[in-house]
Amino acid sequence: MTEAIEVQLKKGVLALCVLALLSKADSYAYEIASKLAKDIDMGEGTIYPLMRRMQSDGQVETYLVESQSGPPRKYYRLTEAGRASFTAQKAEWAAFTSAVENILGAAA
Amino acid sequence: MTRAEFLTRLKRGLAGMPAAQIADIVADYEAHFNDAQEAGRSESEVAAALGEPERLAREQRAEQGVRRWEETKNPSAAAGAIFAVVGLGAIDIIFLLPLLMGVLGTLFAFFMAAIGIFVAGGVVTTVGPFAGPPGGPAVAFLLGIGLMAGATALAAVTTLLTIGLVNGLIWYGRLHYRLLKPAIETQV
Repeated sequence: MTEAIEVQLKKGVLALCVLALLSKADSYAYEIASKLAKDIDMGEGTIYPLMRRMQSDGQVETYLVESQSGPPRKYYRLTEAGRASFTAQKAEWAAFTSAVENILGAAA
Repeated sequence: MTRAEFLTRLKRGLAGMPAAQIADIVADYEAHFNDAQEAGRSESEVAAALGEPERLAREQRAEQGVRRWEETKNPSAAAGAIFAVVGLGAIDIIFLLPLLMGVLGTLFAFFMAAIGIFVAGGVVTTVGPFAGPPGGPAVAFLLGIGLMAGATALAAVTTLLTIGLVNGLIWYGRLHYRLLKPAIETQV
């Protein structure tokens, strides 16, 4: 049961986390994936379908950066729509978590 | 699993999708292996962390099916999206099938009823006024028009319900499994 809750929670916040990371700085998929894998323990291959989806939704766009070693690297940056979506989702998240914390606090 | 093996299995799973998209997806995972290598990780470690390539391929296919449905709302796109999402194993088809058949049957019946009423309305409009109806020709004519309008409205509502149903299935399928399966499996 606990595991199911944990999975649902992570799933819900994955896209929000990606938006948050990109709002700080442009990044490439491996960097995003390894950060999220380390901090919220998600499978790192799972970032790719999500990035494609966010790209086709117009929340992120890509550009290539030459790298010293190997082929050029694909960077992601937020679009205006992505930025707006981040602001909205962040506010929703804050409202939701503070409501849940209130309930948890009341129950303790 | 080696890098080459992972990519071969991924490509096999993606076969049938547009070539440009396959190339894009494969390039993403190749870059992932490159970056991981630079970070000093072994191929087998990276492959294990990525998860099963067949499942990743299914997810990419499902996403593509869903995108096509979002772009063009037609029956073949709907079928494609549903099958792709079902292919994820996200929707237990055995459990859902009786329910789904019932709902689809009902929607189909609504469509048939709409067509039937529309035809009846057409007949009443064209033939009614000449058949000496009670209330006079104008009443029959208006009644026919009314029936046809009602049928059109019924068909429109049914279409909206069908679109809603397909979107609901997709939403449920994604909510259920999307993107996190490897995270759970590696934890266990």
